[in-house]
Amino acid sequence: MTHLSEEDLILVYYGEPGAPADARAHLAECPDCAMQAKSLASLLDGCTNWPAAEPEPGFEARLWRGITARLPEKQTGRPRLRLFAFAAALASLVVVAFVAGRLTTHTAPPITAGLSSQARERILQISLADHLDRAEILLTNLSNGIAPDRGRAADLVSEGRLLRSALVTSGDAGTIALVDDVERFLLEAANEPEHPADAELAALQRRIEDDSLIFKIRIIKSNLRTRGQQS
Amino acid sequence: MDQGDDAAIEDARRGDRDAFRSLVERHGRSVFQLACRMTGNTIDAEDIAQETFLKAWREMRRFDGRASFGTWLHRICANCSLDHLRARNRRNILSAAAEPGALDPMEQIAAGSPSPERLAASAQVAEILGPAMSRLSHMERAAFVMRHYEGMGIEEIARALGVQSGAAKHTVFRAVQKLRRALEPAVRAVR
Repeated sequence: MTHLSEEDLILVYYGEPGAPADARAHLAECPDCAMQAKSLASLLDGCTNWPAAEPEPGFEARLWRGITARLPEKQTGRPRLRLFAFAAALASLVVVAFVAGRLTTHTAPPITAGLSSQARERILQISLADHLDRAEILLTNLSNGIAPDRGRAADLVSEGRLLRSALVTSGDAGTIALVDDVERFLLEAANEPEHPADAELAALQRRIEDDSLIFKIRIIKSNLRTRGQQS
Repeated sequence: MDQGDDAAIEDARRGDRDAFRSLVERHGRSVFQLACRMTGNTIDAEDIAQETFLKAWREMRRFDGRASFGTWLHRICANCSLDHLRARNRRNILSAAAEPGALDPMEQIAAGSPSPERLAASAQVAEILGPAMSRLSHMERAAFVMRHYEGMGIEEIARALGVQSGAAKHTVFRAVQKLRRALEPAVRAVR
């Protein structure tokens, strides 16, 4: 057998697959390679002793202060959470009904028939704010260089389209334009390769920043929630 | 999942901030230390630790317990550190070793192995490792830290770096080769 390369020795040291199958047997027989392996191991063992830095005193308290300052406003208890979950589920149902109603013949009244137009509007606003919440998380991760979860992005595209079709009747052009913009980015995220190249991700990040997309999402979300509370 | 974390994780998943705070207090230091190794800078490491926990809070529902909570946090921290390094690269800021707050590897040299010769070699390596690490590219540094200190496999490193596994493997090779060239004279001197 030929001598082991430095790369082989690195793979053997870390126990990674990819080294020649008989690398260990060769090391037992070949003094030159064994010496190389020992030298590498001694060096890498030395690296293990590199001391980890200790944070400045008060680090944990400082860290928590920084985190709480950036957390969203606190929800007030579980009943409200349950109510919100119920509203979101109901909203999804309403949106489905809106679209189904448009696509099918009207042989029976839609399930939203009993709801006032004000109630429908409110539910739509809550659904949309919820959708934008989820899109914001995905786009924020993307703008931080984390490769997107493509399945989640595709789900958000479908959800966004459903909401958009319901929004058309409300005539809110600004919100519709934002939903369109968000969809554009979500579509790209959904169609990214499994391991996107750095340059592709960086280009997408730049465009998200250039469009101030996350800022716009936050503004529209805030407006939707304010309107939802007032109506 | 760590035994001590279980209850806090469950509560934090339901939005309990006090439970999450206990996780921050338990894991904050190790997250900081990883960020420090990745970036070579204590000031940046505090920012990265904060970013890591914010991401963890947002993604708590996705934590499935297959890895320990600490391991999951370290993966997030590695990604945040990479984002930070990329941003720093874009801003053309000077290398970590030249920044205020850069680590002084002389500060604490941990005890090495029982052999005096190995101990001396390890101490020598630790002494000059900081400057040698600062000469690696940020990808090389990140790949080496993830492989050597975090025990991450090549496939996982590739996913974190967003490259193919062959590229990740060669990044680790380059890092080790550069460190070897920089450190070997010190190791040789104590033999």
